[in-house]
Amino acid sequence: MATLNITWNGISADTDVNVEYGVSDRDLKRIAVELVRSGGVAGLHIKDLQGEAFANYVVDRFDTPAGGQRLFLRPKVPFGARR
Amino acid sequence: MTLRIVFCGVGALGSGAVVLCRSLGVELRLVDLDRVESKNLAAQAFVKLSLGKNKAEAMKLQLANFWGVKAEALGVRVGAENVAAVCAGAGLIVDAFDNRASREVLSAHARATGTPLVHAAMAGDGRFGLVRWDERFTADAEDHAGQATCEGGEHLPFIGLLAAALARAVQDFVTDGTRRDALVSRSGMSTLA
Repeated sequence: MATLNITWNGISADTDVNVEYGVSDRDLKRIAVELVRSGGVAGLHIKDLQGEAFANYVVDRFDTPAGGQRLFLRPKVPFGARR
Repeated sequence: MTLRIVFCGVGALGSGAVVLCRSLGVELRLVDLDRVESKNLAAQAFVKLSLGKNKAEAMKLQLANFWGVKAEALGVRVGAENVAAVCAGAGLIVDAFDNRASREVLSAHARATGTPLVHAAMAGDGRFGLVRWDERFTADAEDHAGQATCEGGEHLPFIGLLAAALARAVQDFVTDGTRRDALVSRSGMSTLA
């Protein structure tokens, strides 16, 4: 079990997800799309979310002291990185 | 011995955080190569009298003139060749730069020297930001060349919230050494252990 935080359109929400420890970024993004579409993330229910909504997102993975995983699916934060 | 905090980048996030950290009883060293431009007044903690000045020097003067707070200013670009000198004596480094290359220079230095380093970073649309300690941080690249930089004043309330989250992370570290991350979005601010 992992806790997944998803940010979309500036709104962030947590949800518990049952995924393998090494789940790929691609699979996690697909799962996230389905969760958001289905209303599985409290406060973040978007029925018509596009399938590629998270394609350009970053997945952060951290282990928790309790032995679980904390996952973040978030926009990039370059703050206007220079060329 | 007074803790020295080196603020790397005093633009939108850094200038706001420095202002909020002015009463922590620490030594402040401010580092930025850029100069204050008219557009910066919309989203950064600079006043009209600072136009044209180096940002680090301008913030040093504002801290002294408005609140009687002393700071040191370095108007230099930080690179691998000078990061050790810029960060000499630092008890904490604060990364509020706006580019991945400079962030990575700071990370490499912090990891090599064991110096605590906290990063603040913001999405290009001004709706999401992170405060994250270096042991959990990886710098993001921009999505495309010339990506928006949140310079407009329409993002100022959010920039202020993220700068405050950064200042709170600094305060907690100064108080008891705690290193808490924060995630800031339109939903609010989540502090993460």
